[in-house]
Amino acid sequence: MPSDARPQELTYADVNRDVVRSLVETGSKYYITLACSIGVMLTCFFFPWFYQLYYGIGAAGVNHPSVWGTYLASFIFWIGLSHSGTLLSCVLHITNSEWRKAMYRSAEAMTLFSLCVAAMMVMVHVGRPWFIHWAVPYPNQMEMWPNFRSPLMFDVMAITTYLTGSTIFIYMGSIPDFAAVRDRTTGWRHHMYVVLSLGWRGTDLEWHRLRWAYTFLAVLIIPLAVSVHSIVSWDFALSIVPALHQTIFAPYFVVGAIYSGTAGIVTVMYFLRKYMNFEQYITKVHFDNLGKLLLVLSLIWTYINIVELFTGWYGGTSGEIEALRYRLFGYYAPLYWEMILFCAVAPLLMISKRFRTSFVPMLILSILINIGMYTERFLIVGTSLSRQYLPDAWGLYVPSLVELSIIVGSVAMFITLFLIFVKIFPSVSIYEVKETLPEPEPDTTTGEPEWQPTH
Amino acid sequence: MATHALGLFETPSEALAAAGELKGSGFGQPSVISPIPLETAEEVLGEKKSVIKRFTFFGALFGGLGGFALAAGTAVLYVHPTGGRPIITWPPFLIITYEMTILFGILATVIGFLVSARFPAFRDRIYVPEAAVDKFAVAVPCEDRGVFEKAEAILRGAGAGEVREVTE
Amino acid sequence: MSFIDDFLASWREYREPGYYDGFDYHWTMSVDLDRCTGCGACITACQAENNIPIVGEDAIARGREMQWIRIEKYWEGEFPDVKLRFIPMLCQHCDAAPCETVCPVSATYHNQDGLNAQVYNRCIGTRSCAVYCPYEVRYFNYNNHHWDAPLEQQLNPDVSVREKGVMEKCSFCIQRIRQAKDVAKDEGRRVQDGDVQPACVQTCPTEALVFGDQNDPDSRVSQTMNDERAYHVLEELNTAPSVVYLRKVETDAV
Repeated sequence: MPSDARPQELTYADVNRDVVRSLVETGSKYYITLACSIGVMLTCFFFPWFYQLYYGIGAAGVNHPSVWGTYLASFIFWIGLSHSGTLLSCVLHITNSEWRKAMYRSAEAMTLFSLCVAAMMVMVHVGRPWFIHWAVPYPNQMEMWPNFRSPLMFDVMAITTYLTGSTIFIYMGSIPDFAAVRDRTTGWRHHMYVVLSLGWRGTDLEWHRLRWAYTFLAVLIIPLAVSVHSIVSWDFALSIVPALHQTIFAPYFVVGAIYSGTAGIVTVMYFLRKYMNFEQYITKVHFDNLGKLLLVLSLIWTYINIVELFTGWYGGTSGEIEALRYRLFGYYAPLYWEMILFCAVAPLLMISKRFRTSFVPMLILSILINIGMYTERFLIVGTSLSRQYLPDAWGLYVPSLVELSIIVGSVAMFITLFLIFVKIFPSVSIYEVKETLPEPEPDTTTGEPEWQPTH
Repeated sequence: MATHALGLFETPSEALAAAGELKGSGFGQPSVISPIPLETAEEVLGEKKSVIKRFTFFGALFGGLGGFALAAGTAVLYVHPTGGRPIITWPPFLIITYEMTILFGILATVIGFLVSARFPAFRDRIYVPEAAVDKFAVAVPCEDRGVFEKAEAILRGAGAGEVREVTE
Repeated sequence: MSFIDDFLASWREYREPGYYDGFDYHWTMSVDLDRCTGCGACITACQAENNIPIVGEDAIARGREMQWIRIEKYWEGEFPDVKLRFIPMLCQHCDAAPCETVCPVSATYHNQDGLNAQVYNRCIGTRSCAVYCPYEVRYFNYNNHHWDAPLEQQLNPDVSVREKGVMEKCSFCIQRIRQAKDVAKDEGRRVQDGDVQPACVQTCPTEALVFGDQNDPDSRVSQTMNDERAYHVLEELNTAPSVVYLRKVETDAV
């Protein structure tokens, strides 16, 4: 790893100070942003959703052949976005990458909150969300159990596990930081961190146990994350719909998920760096490395896209050919070519190191990639369902206003959750950043002890 | 209520050297309190074995067996033939098994961590808040005043800036 | 060890695919395309029998029509040398139904008569069964429907009215099958051929539709299945449908 990954001039005390400052010092800008995002969430997500609960799924644009719409596309999108945080963090933890340490906490938070939003999208998607608990295996007097043969049940199990796993993973990694913050806060925050830190002291025994448990979790979560998005792809691939019934779908979705998730990390890192004053922690090195990763992922993603088209075309069955023709040149074709532009062509810019280390271009590109990836999910659902086997039942699906509003609202929900997170969790890992710093020199100055509470 | 001698050090190497010396001179097991995990702590303080791996293994095993039992058992309990498939359908149930293996592996790892690291602990224990910032502390149990002074001498000799008497 | 023997025996039984094969009835319909005139009487009869909502013009324009049986139309050739082909399409009650396996809550399953049953009360509306169905014969309640007076007077009391968020589809008029089975049970016999007819079969003016038990080799439907014109729609998908189509005889080709 390049040695300039470390924030060179920082001392241990600086790290504590900066991170605690990010938690306790809150400007009016933060409150305005939070209020705005809560407002958008309520008006654009919950209000239309309540209307849809009252009216029925008909509030969305779904119709007879295209019974799935943007809600499912959003669900896959958010699950996909969740794929980089914890997965990347685990892989980098196991491979001992130093540049992971300043950014993994917020990347994992991204995982957590996109999973929460994805779970909400399931609630929005189903026709009778008030009975959603029937998809959970619990003993009941009807003796009715869910159908474990269903790919949707795999989803329920996988996403529950993933949500549990990534919550535990981010929490366990934060325990020493909660303890560090506990000592420097007062009031309700202090009480909260006392509970959250579980009484952490930082003895050699505790560090040893933490390291083992954390590594085991990382080892368990990597195969889990791969399985989660494979399973999401099987919602489609286990059907016999042309252009959905694809062997390649599981790796395609996993790669797509990591791709959009990594782009999401770049976006989050940009804002964290800019507005939480973490310039010394999140540096060009992180953007450079993430850019390289994104470039590789975009190439793999493009490759799988080509393979999918080629095998479909070579197979030459009428259903498959029509589905591909419709996707490439049909009603939704502009969206398809937009996706190719944003996800396959534009990322090639990252070949240049100058581009990778420029913050604003990387931000714009990362947002474009995620727009492209959302389009990809929409096209998978939209084009395939409107062109199935019986041409008499072909149709056209156009999202309704309610759906578009809920897409906007779900983004606001994610931002809201994230804004709350940065004030509760130390969004940069204190102890792991310290590990990347040079060991402290014997201190010659005498002054106020650093550990005095700041408030 | 054991009294402990606790020395504060500026650098991890000094702290570990002091801990090693205390251990070598017949004191009880010293513990090092540090703001970062110390890779070399085990070399000085002796190798540690944790039970976490057993928790993980048995948790995952339980989850795997339980997951298959859940899927196959509930399918048999209330027979719903679907899609011409057998009632006990191996491949899909293995996916459930896989997920449950990981779920219970994770949960058991957490329990193992809490048990083996003795969490949560909200009572007062030996602790110095500086050790969460940039100081490295070495604590060693001392039965009486004489032992404490001996420990203090060793700690000071190893470079401790400050030695405190703390009781648990 | 009798316990282990029992376990192994039931294990083998539950590992057997095609669990429904041993049951008494295997309801089947045949559609003779040579007789079908595409009049659409079956659609109306079904609508009346099964409380299918009248969705209205707007909903149909948005592609939300509700017809458990529909007549698919295909135009062949260019004007003026043009032909209209049509085929009634309804739930095929597949023995290897893709829709059944995908339902997370078992709201659709294969019942003891070889029918593809839909449990409205259990449905949570994931709509995945409609996606998995290659015949596109599952219809979703996008909103609550109402019947303007006096239409609510003609609702069939034997059939439930479905609420919003629930999937529905052709049931082969399961209420009539139940009734016929009850009568037959009271009289201590099997259901005979001709005892039960779904509304569409009953109404068909040209008797293009025939309904009966495939397990009974003498039933009319079993005999039509042996016709050389018989085929299944989308047979290559291996869904094992219970609806048999009899090819149209091309008179102009002779």
